[in-house]
Amino acid sequence: MYKAKMWTITGARHAALIGFSLLMAFPFLWMALSALKTNEELWNFPEVWLPAIPQWHNFLDAWNSAPFGQYIFNSAFTALVIVLVQTLNSAMIAYAFTHLEFKGKNLLFSLILATYMLPAAATYVPSYIMLADLNMLDSYKGLIFSNAASVFGIFLFRQAFLQIHREVIEAAKIDGASHWRILWKILFPLSKPSFATFGLISFVSMYNNYLWPSLIIKDEKLLLITAGLRQFFVQEGAYGIKWPLVMAASTLAVIPMLLLFIIAQKWFIKGLSDSGVKG
Amino acid sequence: MEKASDTKIQPPVSYPTLKKRRKHGKMTSSFTGRLAHLSWVIFFTLPALIPLSIFWVWPMLYSLYISFTDWDYMSPTYNLVGLQNYRNLLGDEAFFQALLNTVYFTAGSVVPTIAGGLLLAMLLHKKIRGGSIYQMILFSPWVTPTVAVSIVWSWIYEPEVGLANWALSLFHLPPLEWTGSMEWAMPAILIVTIWKGVGWAMIFYLGALKKVPEELYESASLDGGSGWKTFRNITLPLISPTTFFLVIIMTVEAIQAYDQIQVLTQGGPAGSTRTILYMYYQSAFEQFNMGQATAVATILVILTAFLSLIQFWTSKRWVHYQ
Repeated sequence: MYKAKMWTITGARHAALIGFSLLMAFPFLWMALSALKTNEELWNFPEVWLPAIPQWHNFLDAWNSAPFGQYIFNSAFTALVIVLVQTLNSAMIAYAFTHLEFKGKNLLFSLILATYMLPAAATYVPSYIMLADLNMLDSYKGLIFSNAASVFGIFLFRQAFLQIHREVIEAAKIDGASHWRILWKILFPLSKPSFATFGLISFVSMYNNYLWPSLIIKDEKLLLITAGLRQFFVQEGAYGIKWPLVMAASTLAVIPMLLLFIIAQKWFIKGLSDSGVKG
Repeated sequence: MEKASDTKIQPPVSYPTLKKRRKHGKMTSSFTGRLAHLSWVIFFTLPALIPLSIFWVWPMLYSLYISFTDWDYMSPTYNLVGLQNYRNLLGDEAFFQALLNTVYFTAGSVVPTIAGGLLLAMLLHKKIRGGSIYQMILFSPWVTPTVAVSIVWSWIYEPEVGLANWALSLFHLPPLEWTGSMEWAMPAILIVTIWKGVGWAMIFYLGALKKVPEELYESASLDGGSGWKTFRNITLPLISPTTFFLVIIMTVEAIQAYDQIQVLTQGGPAGSTRTILYMYYQSAFEQFNMGQATAVATILVILTAFLSLIQFWTSKRWVHYQ
């Protein structure tokens, strides 16, 4: 009796989870399927579910009709540099917050946390003007510099460093290790999961970033994938001429992130759920 | 306090020198020791503080200043106009429409995302075969670019052959104009936003549910509490810090939503999806009315700060910290 009840509950859970999973995955499937259809199939109603002959050349056509390879490389490259810079300076200041004593430390940390709540968009007009004055518009220098600090990273690394036992660090100090060595030879290896989580999340959000980069980068060759894709969408999709190509291009833009996520999902999920708040 | 902390600090000197010096007794309290310590502090904090102050703190203040001018970005000169920009805003019906839309968008995305995330986490919490695969699929929208998936959704919302209307026809419902109608444009954007965020909320709730002690459930079931009662009296209060955290983070994010609005509706039709942030974008980077735009930005900041404060205060009343 009890067992039968457990079975039904598990069955119901599976049914619900399968239903929700289908709902969540469906837009991706639909995107890929639409990319493989002909324009006629796409505009047919009722829906044609599967293309009669998968139009694989749509991907090639999309790839050739705008420099998507270049766009994806641009996004991945700038995201990687930004992540490296953010990781370096966030870890350093987190070290200062946890292992160095100085006046106004708590005040400084509270101030930094407070800025986390403020809408970044409110800084865009002055930041834009500043980059223009520094002659850094339309350059990756400007994009990287303006994204060089991450309050999320500072917060995450501080949390991670606080959890490391003091004795370990004291021992290293007695051995005469410098702060720099303690940070990278002791704290870093002990908090690698936090570094992995931060690196991945920051990379994804930089790759997906749209508003700010689209404001400061207009040069066709320097466009990031988000802006490049949006431009392609406006040119090709709005008048219904090349929807299959638009879907193919979207698929190309989405795939790198999905692959990265599938490979490293453990770090995304575990890191997020552990780093958030204590329940 | 100073002394106690001083003893912990070691100057940046090489290992042999340090050993040599140690023989001569305390040196950390010496002037050079303090100087060395100070340089360490500067060295460790500046790399983050420089970009933070240049691109966060200073722009906030500068933005406030611009909001008192009539600058149009093109001309080199401008006039100080006092509170004129703010007065214009408060007399502008479009601004209140945007404010209302922001509230609609925020409540309409945050509440379902959090409730949905909790529901999914409850379904996944106890061990289940294939749990990590479900988890992966449910979370996957979050990692993809909003611009790209919004384009896909714009195809789903296509009024003639789109999937959304096909789904409605299954239930014998009339087709909708979706992003083309004033009434349904906002729900269309909300669906995309919820779809993208619900897995994210789920992950945080999974972490929180793991930390609820199993004994509490056992004693509750011994007391004969129903599933719903256990949920209300035990689970919900114990995970409330996570709920609190999610409400704040997601509200701040919702106020700043831009990508999906830009792709799906550009604030239209007839301003029905224009949020405060979108209005800010339009007046700054389409109309180059910098004074007006920064005034909107100031209001955006005040709104966010205000919400954070309210949530912080009320949280003290209903958040259960262990």
